[in-house]
Formats: sequence, C-alpha cells, structure tokens
Amino acid sequence: MKHHFFGTQFVAALALGLALAAPALAEDAQTIATTVCAACHGPDGNSAIPMFPKIAGLQEAYIVKQLRDFQTGRRKSDIMAPVVAALKPEDIAPIAGYFSQQKLKPGEEADKKSASIGKLIFFDGNEETGVPACVGCHMPLGAGQLIYPRIGGQHAMYVNQQLKNFASGERSNDVSRFMRVVAKRMSEEEIQSVADYLASLGVK
Amino acid sequence: MKKFLASLSLVLLPAFALAQTPAWTDLRGELKDALEAKGDPARGKAAFVPCEGCHRGDATGRPSGAYPRLAGQHVRVLVKQITDIRAGRRSVSKMEPFIDDHVLTPFDIADIAVYLQALPVSAGNGKGPGTGLERGKQLYDKDCAQCHGAKGEGEALKFYPMVAAQHYRYLLREVTFIRDGDRRNSNPDMVRVIKDYKSADLEAVADYMAQLAPPQK
Repeated sequence: MKHHFFGTQFVAALALGLALAAPALAEDAQTIATTVCAACHGPDGNSAIPMFPKIAGLQEAYIVKQLRDFQTGRRKSDIMAPVVAALKPEDIAPIAGYFSQQKLKPGEEADKKSASIGKLIFFDGNEETGVPACVGCHMPLGAGQLIYPRIGGQHAMYVNQQLKNFASGERSNDVSRFMRVVAKRMSEEEIQSVADYLASLGVK
Repeated sequence: MKKFLASLSLVLLPAFALAQTPAWTDLRGELKDALEAKGDPARGKAAFVPCEGCHRGDATGRPSGAYPRLAGQHVRVLVKQITDIRAGRRSVSKMEPFIDDHVLTPFDIADIAVYLQALPVSAGNGKGPGTGLERGKQLYDKDCAQCHGAKGEGEALKFYPMVAAQHYRYLLREVTFIRDGDRRNSNPDMVRVIKDYKSADLEAVADYMAQLAPPQK
C-alpha cells in the first residue's frame, strides 16, 4: 500500500509539472498525449499504476466527454483538474482519438475466487437487490458499446474506486444516473469481485 | 390492522384517489403521447440497451421470474405498463430509476415498445411443475380466455397482455399480487374474477399459461 501511495504522489506531482509546462513543450495533441497524459496513463494509454485508469482503446467520444467533464467540474478529480485546465478545447478530440486507437493490454492477475463471483455478477447481476448484469450495457469481455465505456482489462483498484464514487455520489457524471443507481445497490464485496473479474479479462 | 388501514384510507381518500387514479384504460397524458408516436425499432433497440442487464439481450427475461419476458409483447401493453410504473400506478422499485422522465421521453417509450413487439418469442421460457395443467386449463378457459385469448395471445386494443410463454414464476408472482391487491394498476375486472382463487388455483393457472405455445405472428 505504501508503495502505491508514494508512486501516486510522485506521478501526480510529475503530471502537474508537465501540465504546467505543457503549452511550451507541446504544440500538437499527440505530443501532449505522449508527454503530459503519458506520465500517469502510460505513453500508449496502458497505465502501469493501479490507481490510474487504462485509457487505451476507450471510445473516443467517451474520453472527450470525460475530459470536458473534468474541465467543467462535472467530474471531480484533484489530479485531473489542473491537467485539463491547461488543455485547449481543440486539443481534446485529437488526444481522445490518439488514446482511443491504442491497443489495450490484457488485464492483471486477480484473486481467482473473487473474480469468479464477479463473473456471476457481470453476467447475471443480483436479482435480489436489483443489480443489473454489467454485460447488458458493457458487452461480453467488457468491450463497451455506444456510450457505454470499455471496462474489460481495467485496473481493479480503479474500478473499485469508481464504483464507490458512483455509489456515494462523489462521481455524478454518468448518463441518466445509471451507474449511481447500480453501484448504490452493490455490496462492497460485489464491487471488489466485479473489479477483480474485469481486471482479469484479456482483450481480443 | 391492514384491513383497518385499508378501510380508513377508503374513508379519508376517496376524492384524492378518484382524482389520482384514472380508469383502467383512460387514454391520456404520456400514455396517449407514446401510443400516438410512431415508434422506431432501430432507436428502440439502442434505448433498450440499459434494460438488457435485467431483461436480457433478446428481452427473454429470466426463468427465475425476477424479470419478465418482453419479447413479442403488444406495444400497447408495454407502453401502458411502462407509463404506469413511472407514474407510480404500479410499483416496481428496481426498475423505476431506469425509466423515469429524465431517462425516457414518451417517444423513447414508443421506440422501445415497437422494437420489443417485433422480437421473436421462443418457447424456452420457465415452465411450472406441470402438475396443475388440467385444473389450470379449466380455470383459464372459464375465467381468463375471454380477455387473454384462448391461446394466451392477449388483446392489444384493450391492453390485455399476451400471457403465453411467459415465465411461470413471473406469472405466479403477478397473479398473486393482483389477487392480493399488491399490483395497483390491476384491471378491477380481473381482481374480481380471481379474488377467491386459492394459491393452488393461481399456481395451476400460471402452470397452464406458461406452457402455452408462443403465438405465431
């Protein structure tokens, strides 16, 4: 845990430094992507740090929405806010396009028992508590479709945190409140299991 | 206590209740809007995606009865039930947040209903124990067929649902709700017909309806 904490602080500081320096360093969006964003998310969007999401292969429109939401404050993040503040509006789509076209690298080793429970929830939800099956919107392998993001292969720690943020309402930029409703119906164990299952998924 | 509260509410709330509860087939508000809209099945398919987590990708629901089959159901039935649920005339708490008015417009509801009605109905629904079929058929033919059709095909114009090939456990849950007054948008005629049904009678009728073949379209 300590290790993560140090890494997080260090990388956040690095990202902030790069963000402040960004206008001078980077003329074009791809340079921003491979320098500023890469500090946390990896040069190809496959973040090596479990707290920071992999953004490789996410739908372009989804990345655009998240960046805009960070800019307007609809999605709150102390780390992302200063970074996106330096982004010019015209850079957003190309940056999103760049990461969208990167290939997501397969997931990580996860607790097998937990992941197997998560798999049940992913495909069946929980009928007692009204948790819908994740697969309904996010598709097999968590590949995503339409406005519903790719979630397969994502870091467990990140998914866990986002689901908790949706449940508490701290994250509230979901379309039609769907994820806030769903996450609120999930137990902590279900959240961890689903996160472990998603993390274990390879990507075609 | 329950009875006392019920009679108390009858005394206290008749005017309120009359104002709030339209007749069973009153065509007004968003029910009217959605029925008059020309639904678009392609848009309905996309709008139905968030429903698939419970009702499944092909809208076949679940044999456990937790979520009904919607595939092949009449547009008018689907529209009435969705608008009833979101207006609070039928309580389905699990579903409410996914269909309330900031999620779906009446046009979206029409799109979804048209999409669902056109989906094929397979025979692979959850069946009952098969032990009450003879009794079930007797009761069905006597009390149910007049509205729901001899083959369970329902009657769209009057908002009577297709019951053939629905999951047994869902049918049993709903007829029990209807008998016991727990489904508030029940057709009063149906409540009267089944009010003296024993649980075994409800099981037999549900058993019979679940094994009726999906109507050919």
